[in-house]
Amino acid sequence: MENRPPEIDLNDVVVKYRPVVSFKVKKSLGAQTPDWEDVVNEVITQVIEKVKKGEFRGDSSIGTYIYTITSRRIIDHIRQKTKVLRNIPEPVPLPDPCDNAESRERAQFLAQAIQQLKPKFKEVLNLYYYQELTRDEVAERLGISPRRVSERLNYAQRLLRKMIRT
Amino acid sequence: MKKCLFAEQIDDYLLNRLEGEPKEQFEEHYFNCPSCFRQLEERDALVSTIKTRGAWIFRDKPASERREWVPAWKRALASFTPRQWATVGVAAAAVLVVVFGLMTQFRPSSPQFVLNETEVVRGESLTLMSPIIDVRSVPTFFEWKSLGQGVEYKISLFNDELLWSATTRDSRIVIPEETRQRMRPGQRFAWQVRAFSANGTLIAASSKVQFQIEPAK
Repeated sequence: MENRPPEIDLNDVVVKYRPVVSFKVKKSLGAQTPDWEDVVNEVITQVIEKVKKGEFRGDSSIGTYIYTITSRRIIDHIRQKTKVLRNIPEPVPLPDPCDNAESRERAQFLAQAIQQLKPKFKEVLNLYYYQELTRDEVAERLGISPRRVSERLNYAQRLLRKMIRT
Repeated sequence: MKKCLFAEQIDDYLLNRLEGEPKEQFEEHYFNCPSCFRQLEERDALVSTIKTRGAWIFRDKPASERREWVPAWKRALASFTPRQWATVGVAAAAVLVVVFGLMTQFRPSSPQFVLNETEVVRGESLTLMSPIIDVRSVPTFFEWKSLGQGVEYKISLFNDELLWSATTRDSRIVIPEETRQRMRPGQRFAWQVRAFSANGTLIAASSKVQFQIEPAK
């Protein structure tokens, strides 16, 4: 007996998964890539069409299904672009991945909040996220345990969350 | 709330330390886990900001600009001008005056005690020492706790009515023979002491203590 495709609310899927697909696409192609939004739209359209045609059988979760479609579309996009761009110079990446005024403002606010942190928290954020040392390397550099490094990172993020909310 | 195991991979993913299958597993996971995705977005904002503005955030400030980090309250205090300090001092003194003023105003009053059936007064309490329990024979004296120099005590002995009354400046008084003869075994008595200051103001009163002289066998 053939399985009936599960009931899917497509509006719900679009609302829920557009940010997730956008995140994955931006992460894979780079937020500087001008056509990342086109790729996201193509993925969402493809998902809607496939679900409507009953191609989603519920063998996996809808999340995994959309992830698979997204990954394939990204690979196709990269192949396509590689062919086209092989003979022309690489575009200069934009200096700031925060692609609109609102995100730029948010990022600036966050940067100011980080600056206001105590030196011990700023230092650990600098070494771990900016200089990309591993947790153990940060611990060695600061003469504290790796566990303490994690605690400081977590605490710094809690403080920033609080500063941004107020 | 139980923490998702994938949450520990967020930093590795954002810092491009995940490759191949673990990376794909993590990506598939955040497509299915709204909680991890929320954390991922938040952390990404932090990492992106640090990556793009790190040079500015973590720059070495010029010596003229550089300041040791001090708590906010110390910074606030350090920014006070002498005039502001003077204002704070005057305000603090005023607050102290008001507080002490109120304290004297609302000082707990002396305990209230019953002088007799109709009189209730406030003042120091006065402790009676002997006799305070039943006695085997007619007592020869009354004794109480002294309230210090210059205090006059008025002792009253009651049966059904006032049997005897006397004043003294000591904290002990001998019961006159004439009164003792009126005190019969088996009877119940009550006695009370009231203390007066030099100018005659009632300053303390004891409670009325009852005792019985045991009946003769």
